[in-house]
Amino acid sequence: MNHSLKLIIAREYLTRVKRKSFIITTILVPLLMIAISLAPAAVMLLSSPENRNIAVVDQTRIIAPRLDSNDEVKFVSVDAPLDSLRADTDFDAILVIDANAVKNPADAIRLYSRGAPAMQTGAYINSQLEDAIEDIRLEEYNIDNIKQILASVNADFELATIRIDKEEDTATSVGLSYVIGLTLDMMLYMFILIYGQMVMNSIIEEKNNRVLEIVVSSVKPTWLMLGKISGIGLVAITQILIWAVLIGSCSLWSMPLLGDLGASSESTEIAAAMSQLSDTGFIAGLFLYLLLFFIGGYLFYSAIYAAIGSAVDNVQDASQLSTIATMPVIIGIISSMAVLSNPGSTLAFWVSVIPFTSPMAMMSRLPYGVPTWEIILSLVVLYISFAFLIWLCAKIYRVGIFMYGKKPTLIEIIRWARYK
Amino acid sequence: MDYILTAENITKDYTKHRALDDVSIAVPRGSVYGLLGPNGAGKTTLIRIINHITAPDRGLVTFDGHQLTAADVAQIGYLPEERGLYKKMKVGEQALFFARLKGLGKREAEASLRQWFERLEISEWWDKKIEELSKGMAQKVQFIVTVLHRPKLLIFDEPFSGFDPINAGILKREILKLRDEGATVIFSTHNMASVEELCDEISLINRSRNILTGPVGALREQFGGNVYEITFAGSPDALRASAENIGQDFKLGGVDDRGYATATISLGSAADVRPLLAAANEAVHINSFRHVLPSMDDIFVAAVQASNTDNDPSEIQLQ
Repeated sequence: MNHSLKLIIAREYLTRVKRKSFIITTILVPLLMIAISLAPAAVMLLSSPENRNIAVVDQTRIIAPRLDSNDEVKFVSVDAPLDSLRADTDFDAILVIDANAVKNPADAIRLYSRGAPAMQTGAYINSQLEDAIEDIRLEEYNIDNIKQILASVNADFELATIRIDKEEDTATSVGLSYVIGLTLDMMLYMFILIYGQMVMNSIIEEKNNRVLEIVVSSVKPTWLMLGKISGIGLVAITQILIWAVLIGSCSLWSMPLLGDLGASSESTEIAAAMSQLSDTGFIAGLFLYLLLFFIGGYLFYSAIYAAIGSAVDNVQDASQLSTIATMPVIIGIISSMAVLSNPGSTLAFWVSVIPFTSPMAMMSRLPYGVPTWEIILSLVVLYISFAFLIWLCAKIYRVGIFMYGKKPTLIEIIRWARYK
Repeated sequence: MDYILTAENITKDYTKHRALDDVSIAVPRGSVYGLLGPNGAGKTTLIRIINHITAPDRGLVTFDGHQLTAADVAQIGYLPEERGLYKKMKVGEQALFFARLKGLGKREAEASLRQWFERLEISEWWDKKIEELSKGMAQKVQFIVTVLHRPKLLIFDEPFSGFDPINAGILKREILKLRDEGATVIFSTHNMASVEELCDEISLINRSRNILTGPVGALREQFGGNVYEITFAGSPDALRASAENIGQDFKLGGVDDRGYATATISLGSAADVRPLLAAANEAVHINSFRHVLPSMDDIFVAAVQASNTDNDPSEIQLQ
């Protein structure tokens, strides 16, 4: 490899990797991700509401006995006027049930609450009332063993999906594929935007403090641009690998747990999801594709960002031009949302071939399984367009870095590409 | 004459204007060559062409006897007007990076960097970041980066701006030392005093054209109009009477605090100076007698003004 290219890559890489901010984010983000995934459970644990006393004023006299108290909600039947109950601070809420409640519960039942009731509390009271009224209504038909009959006709089940286009039939979880696709998509989107803009900002900075003139008096501008893009790209890959190792080792530790959970779970969906998650080959394959599409997508977009960075003098001027790069990335993420809900559609095929959107679109389809030839086609198109784009952007860059003062228009920038 | 660098009939167009119009310069090996001109005249474009950063639309640049190629850039050291260093990088690390970009090996680069740091008395900055240094301090670092790989040709664009007189002196000393060791220096500046002090030859570029070229001494002589200045004690009228027989434009200046009066007189272009000296010696008591050369400052201003009014700058006479 070219000697100066190596030096430039090494400089770009080392100065960034040694920065405190890089080390901190690289270690903190996975911790944060784990914390976020644990957060809902933790919140549930912490926010379990204290005992709430509900005064029940029941004029039907048949509903109140059927309401079951639990740890959180305690129903107490009382026979007192509403006004006096309102003043009684022993009760957190007053449930008023009018006489016609069985016929018309929506109008006849009201909950007077001191402060907003917790969501779960409200839902629990509601479901208790519904059960009670349903039971009463059923009993009014006077059919023997009605409850047993209903239980025996209940056909509540989850559909198991088995992929037949794979070598062996495997149970797959559509829900899990969706979640994985979405996660990979978001990661790719973030990485392309953050690292692409890092390339742009670093070029603007070099142009501003005239380091460029020193460097290009020793190396060709194209080498500098390639070196910068590669160096920053390697920083991104380093970060992805560190995250993969951190998250991977966490999952390895929890893998047996997941398998057990899957095996013991009654839900086929969860079982499929768990077996899929503990399938190391599946995860490793996804990770490999994530890297390949990240590298392709990053190179593709960073070339555009580099050309923009070379054309302007400061970050403010860049913000307008950089929409040229940012818009397709956003279109990519939006279209891949559509792809996520219908991964086999024609739209899904085309957006995963067009290089502007293909990295994101492919990431959302991959967890569902994509024919190998489509993946190869998408990668080939992406890498060929990157090669073309880098050639074009290098031409713009070479001219742009010596243009100071006036903010160029898009048409002027394109014209630069034709300069000798 | 042996030229390290020549630029012949260079023309460079940008979208809206012509930056260089048929400019030629020839830089003698081992000289300090001044590249002068007002802001926006085209100096930087010419320097970029010499540095192989941009290509001329027409014209030929030769380096060391052959057409300039990208490989020759390793033999050129360039100190741009606006200093370019990475703000967040440590001084030593950064100097090492640039030295290695120029093709020096790691060990070799570090050894000669340490040497230079010592020579310019900045060794203790090795581990500081550029952003912690003052402008002049950063400039010393930049200077070292420029000269470290011992290029045959050095290009300094305004090297003294931001320096105090002591450090400017150190830098001048180093530049002349480099020249004595065989390097050729192209020196672009607006500071005409330093041009008189350092430059052997100059080219003056104005409005994209080379309007004046030549050795500094010869140019000053050429523009001088053969004026002599006499400081003396005695009767000014006596001096006037005898001097006006020999030359024209006798002018009497003030009297200085030691009691010496000043007079100037212009002789014809090729006239002999001895009759004037003899006549003056008869008339008054001479304290000093000298040939007045116009400053480069005066030449610069006059030449640029002449070229802006479409006169031939080489026709101008000062004084």
